[in-house]
Amino acid sequence: MDSDTAIEVTNLTKTFRIYHEKKNSLYEYLTSFFNKKRTSEELIVLKDVSFSVRKGEMLGIIGFNGSGKTTLLKIIAKIYTQDSGVVNTKGRITPFLELGTGFNGELTARDNTVIYGVILGLTKKEIEKKIESIVRFAELEKFLDTKLKNFSSGMNARLAFSTAIQVDPDIMLVDEVLSVGDLPFQQKSFNAFMDFKKRGKTVVFVSHSLENITRTCDKALWIHEGRIKAYGDPNTVVEQYRTFSQKKS
Amino acid sequence: MEDNFFSDVWKRRSLITLLAFNDVKLRYKNSALGFLWSFLEPLLMLAVLYFVFSTILKSDIQDYPLYLLIGLIIWYVFSRSSTLGLSSLLDKAGIIQKIYFRRELIVISSCLTAFIMMGFEFAAFAVFVFAFQFIPPITILLLPLLLIDLFILSLGVALLLAVLTVYFRDIKFIWQVLLQAGFFLTPIFYRLDMFPEDIAKILQINPIVPIMDTAHDLVLYNSLPSINTTLYIIISTCVIFVIGYIVFRIKDKKIIEEL
Repeated sequence: MDSDTAIEVTNLTKTFRIYHEKKNSLYEYLTSFFNKKRTSEELIVLKDVSFSVRKGEMLGIIGFNGSGKTTLLKIIAKIYTQDSGVVNTKGRITPFLELGTGFNGELTARDNTVIYGVILGLTKKEIEKKIESIVRFAELEKFLDTKLKNFSSGMNARLAFSTAIQVDPDIMLVDEVLSVGDLPFQQKSFNAFMDFKKRGKTVVFVSHSLENITRTCDKALWIHEGRIKAYGDPNTVVEQYRTFSQKKS
Repeated sequence: MEDNFFSDVWKRRSLITLLAFNDVKLRYKNSALGFLWSFLEPLLMLAVLYFVFSTILKSDIQDYPLYLLIGLIIWYVFSRSSTLGLSSLLDKAGIIQKIYFRRELIVISSCLTAFIMMGFEFAAFAVFVFAFQFIPPITILLLPLLLIDLFILSLGVALLLAVLTVYFRDIKFIWQVLLQAGFFLTPIFYRLDMFPEDIAKILQINPIVPIMDTAHDLVLYNSLPSINTTLYIIISTCVIFVIGYIVFRIKDKKIIEEL
């Protein structure tokens, strides 16, 4: 892997075992010895996927529902383990697959921010130092000691997004969560992403908003049924994807 | 161990302690009596056992209330660590499905939760010690070492149960039954030498039994465990921890998909 590559994925394959009837207890497991039936099958989610992303690049991933986009992000984030193939990454990765992982309504915004920051890889001291700038960015200064269950979903999202941005990762994996908050906040988070990119950080994001892809990404990757269908210039890839989708419908 | 388990754990100690303290906090917030709840269960048990054994069965154990309390504290921390650890991966599924860190950290933090609660119970014990005007012997200073051993043992059990529970959800019920049996087969409210010798020998295979005896000896009777007992405690702890850790490692890769 050369020095300006941030993510390198080579021949990645991932299958899931889909259970027809999930055996979830020891009792069922033992009784099934006497009652042999085929109860699961393999589903290939990603097949021979290879690509690389350079530092400071923004890669947009598009594709139909169930095509393997989120699975790909989860493998890059090490949440899933691949069956075969190699994933190399450089630097701290923040997966942003959901807003506010680990948020708990019973705790205050401050406590939740600290937990989220620590889950994302900071120490308690580091995140406590950043808490002021996080709530300032989220425009939630007044609600720092409010319990999270009293937050609106937009406020929730703003707090989560601001925390994730402040963690300052080298690689950010974003799954369809860019459209958070109201319009001014969307503009603000868009600027934050651009600033992020300018500082040589890498972003991979999955989106169904083709406009967002062409507007922000340097490259686009189209996954169809677990295989790469097109990869390269966002405008070209998005155009191919549009034509394909129209033919389908 | 092939990977750098200990350095990874050390690096993320912030996460472990934070999750543990938050669990303690939430536990007390969600109950009306809050903080007091954690004392009520052991205290009620203490009162009942004390009544039964000192008035009806006329137990002649020295400083019996303190003997009982120590026994209960040690038993509860083990049973809580293993029970919390058992369900920890399921309880924290929302986090570990979205962000990667070593999944062991979740189990360690749930054991830590149990040990933080034990801290409160020892505070209650201190009150009892004061009330009974009991002066603890010097050997009590060795108790922390025993507790560290108990933590490692509990963690080994918790790792094993946590990962098995992801695959077999009924492990929980099996474990509850085993704990119930364990409560009566451990010298918490009786002394092991009240049994015939060969039965006592069999019971002592359970590593919690010599740990319990040692706790009583250190805190109340100014006596040290024999070399054999000490070795047995350390070796059985290591064996259980290594088994738990290895099974966890083997199954770790598929945990998220099975949750």
